[in-house]
Amino acid sequence: MKTILTVDDSPSIRQMLTYVLTSNGYEVIEASDGEEGLALAKTHRADLVLTDQNMPRMDGITLIKALRRLPEYKKVPIMMLTTESSQALKQQGREAGATGWMVKPFDPEKLLEMLRRAFSQTSA
Amino acid sequence: MSTNPHADLAVRHGQPPSAGSLSALHELASRLAAQIDSAQREIGETRAILKDAIDRLMPAFTATRSGDTRPVINPSRREAFSALQFQDISDQLLAHAQARLNFLLQEMEAVIATLAAGGERPEVVDQLTRLVASANGNLADLDANLLKPVGKSHLATGEVELF
Repeated sequence: MKTILTVDDSPSIRQMLTYVLTSNGYEVIEASDGEEGLALAKTHRADLVLTDQNMPRMDGITLIKALRRLPEYKKVPIMMLTTESSQALKQQGREAGATGWMVKPFDPEKLLEMLRRAFSQTSA
Repeated sequence: MSTNPHADLAVRHGQPPSAGSLSALHELASRLAAQIDSAQREIGETRAILKDAIDRLMPAFTATRSGDTRPVINPSRREAFSALQFQDISDQLLAHAQARLNFLLQEMEAVIATLAAGGERPEVVDQLTRLVASANGNLADLDANLLKPVGKSHLATGEVELF
């Protein structure tokens, strides 16, 4: 079973993600900001990370940079799930090492399709 | 002293404002601060009500029937998931509005404290001048620090991009 680390400061978004992902056979670990996400990523090996951008303590792009410095997360897909949609921020995300970008509000089916594509790219 | 408290609110070059104008300014600043404080509390209450509503709704949408190990996300539930994210998006906007009001309130309170302290009127004018300069700097910082979190005015689901 694939494990997905979700990082979002909104409890309702985390709850929705957990429901959608566990309903589709994924195991989920939740973090409420970038700092907690980074700490959990070090103790639990996630197969994919799904992170918000604007969060207290540590934002999503800073989290991605920190994760990419860890050898075990060099090739793990890291997706942004955020209300941000500016090209400038997307470029920052790409440069930080993000694998993809999804703009909120998210559609469950589109999210699952994005994850399938991300996993297939990793295994290719 | 002027009988009209608003008669000489504008400080003429080289002339300190009269006691009447400072008193009127103090009263106005206090009333404006009270309005800002009320607006800030009302936004806080709105955020709490929205959060409570979503927290109560969420279990109804994420509940699974016993024995239902792989619940299907049917089309109506998909729509509900998109709509429920409204609270997260609107809360970010309301939080920004609260931060702006908090800034205004702090600046107003600084003005009120200066006016309430009284003292020699030319000193008050100097202090107010410094407050204006400080407020201008703080205002620039506020805009720089508050990233606009949401560029959406509707609830259509967002696009997906794989890099």
